[in-house]
Amino acid sequence: MGKYSKQLSLISVFLLMVWMLLSGGERALALSENDPLVQVQKSVDEILVILQSEELQTPEKKDERKQRILTVVNRMFDFRGMARSSLGQNWNSLTTEERDSFVSLFASLIEQRYIGKIDAYSNQKVIYKDQRVRNNKARVYTAIIDRDLEIPIDYSLQMSQGKWLIKDLKIENVSLIANYRRDFNSIIRKEQFAGLVEKITEQLEKSEMQN
Amino acid sequence: MAVFFLLLTVTHAWSGGTADQSSDAQTDVTLATGEAVSDAEDDTWTEEDNWDDEWDEGDTIADPLEPINRFFFHFNDKLYYWVLKPVSRGYSAITPEDVRIVVRNFFDNLRTPTRAVNSLLQGQVRDSSVEVTRFILNSTVGIFGLGDFAKDVLDLRSTKEDTGQTLGHYGAGGGFYICWPFLGPSNLRDSLGLVGDAYLHPLIFLDSDWEVVVGLWTFEKVNYTALTLGDYELFTETALDPYTAVKDAYNQYRNGLIKE
Repeated sequence: MGKYSKQLSLISVFLLMVWMLLSGGERALALSENDPLVQVQKSVDEILVILQSEELQTPEKKDERKQRILTVVNRMFDFRGMARSSLGQNWNSLTTEERDSFVSLFASLIEQRYIGKIDAYSNQKVIYKDQRVRNNKARVYTAIIDRDLEIPIDYSLQMSQGKWLIKDLKIENVSLIANYRRDFNSIIRKEQFAGLVEKITEQLEKSEMQN
Repeated sequence: MAVFFLLLTVTHAWSGGTADQSSDAQTDVTLATGEAVSDAEDDTWTEEDNWDDEWDEGDTIADPLEPINRFFFHFNDKLYYWVLKPVSRGYSAITPEDVRIVVRNFFDNLRTPTRAVNSLLQGQVRDSSVEVTRFILNSTVGIFGLGDFAKDVLDLRSTKEDTGQTLGHYGAGGGFYICWPFLGPSNLRDSLGLVGDAYLHPLIFLDSDWEVVVGLWTFEKVNYTALTLGDYELFTETALDPYTAVKDAYNQYRNGLIKE
């Protein structure tokens, strides 16, 4: 036993050295409460707590769970800004009422895309890598660890009334807003804005039926 | 083999130094251009400033073959719902997730030569040597690539390089969009890249019959689909014009990989 324990301790020292060598590259971020990264992390953690809560996982609580997540989501995202940039130039020609109703349609569409994803949640972890701040704009770099895969998610944020709000996110380099802008544009070109509104409404109703 | 390990240590040391420099350089750029203070947002849409352009850089891709592409997009879509999805569901009912991950690792390991050669062609000596080391370790200690020993134990991570990205690295644009039957979204550059990738795949050295190649490819596809069931539906069902959304997502994804 004694003979082996010496070898074991040698091995563990060696492994420790390897580990220190490999992990030495990571630099620690000095963060404060008002940093965009911290704000994103707080909100995401809040969502994770809701997702992991066993009490909310029962079928009867499905609506409550969704509602709670939406509350956090609505605080995190600047849906008006997102809707505006997803329409590009087309936004400028809309009346205030048209804009307002489009913003809520748009928010429902985004919710549908991501809430659907959330139902597939099974203990994936989120890691926070870096942030860049420039005046009232910021980028936060994160990744989701899904078993053996690492999926990068980058956020673009804007400071608004003392809070950082998300105005776009990129999953594996694909920008949500840029993607919707081209998607919407291809409809608007053929069927104008009215056609787009009709299509989104249809889409939302279809998924309502499925649920 | 010892040479590769030597190469690995040397390049590891190099990259440590350069990585630090580049992050400093980025901070400088950020500070230098930080003077342009953006206006308070009003409620009209205006062209955003440079920093936002950098975020939202991806251009749209030309699509002269749109009618044919749309036809094959529709074909692939039906193929997914009528064949691939039910088969993958059946497959996932009889195989535990761990097995599917092992199968994915196995196929992924076979692509290592492609990644190693293309990293090298792009001048990324370190990434290339990491791939070679990964291949050696995972094919032996990881048992034919079934496990990812190199990542789990030594934190040697794989890159996603392929021939299409090498062409992109040297300035080749996407050309135009192509939606292939069975293979899905691509473009002119990446389609040429696929030919290059095929020649770097170990299967080519086995001189297998095409039935074997198609069979293995289908198995890989089914295994992959079983691991990502629901993703395709969610994306296309929350898009207004799924064809355009998939085309753009492919374009953005590839541009992002080339930029890395």
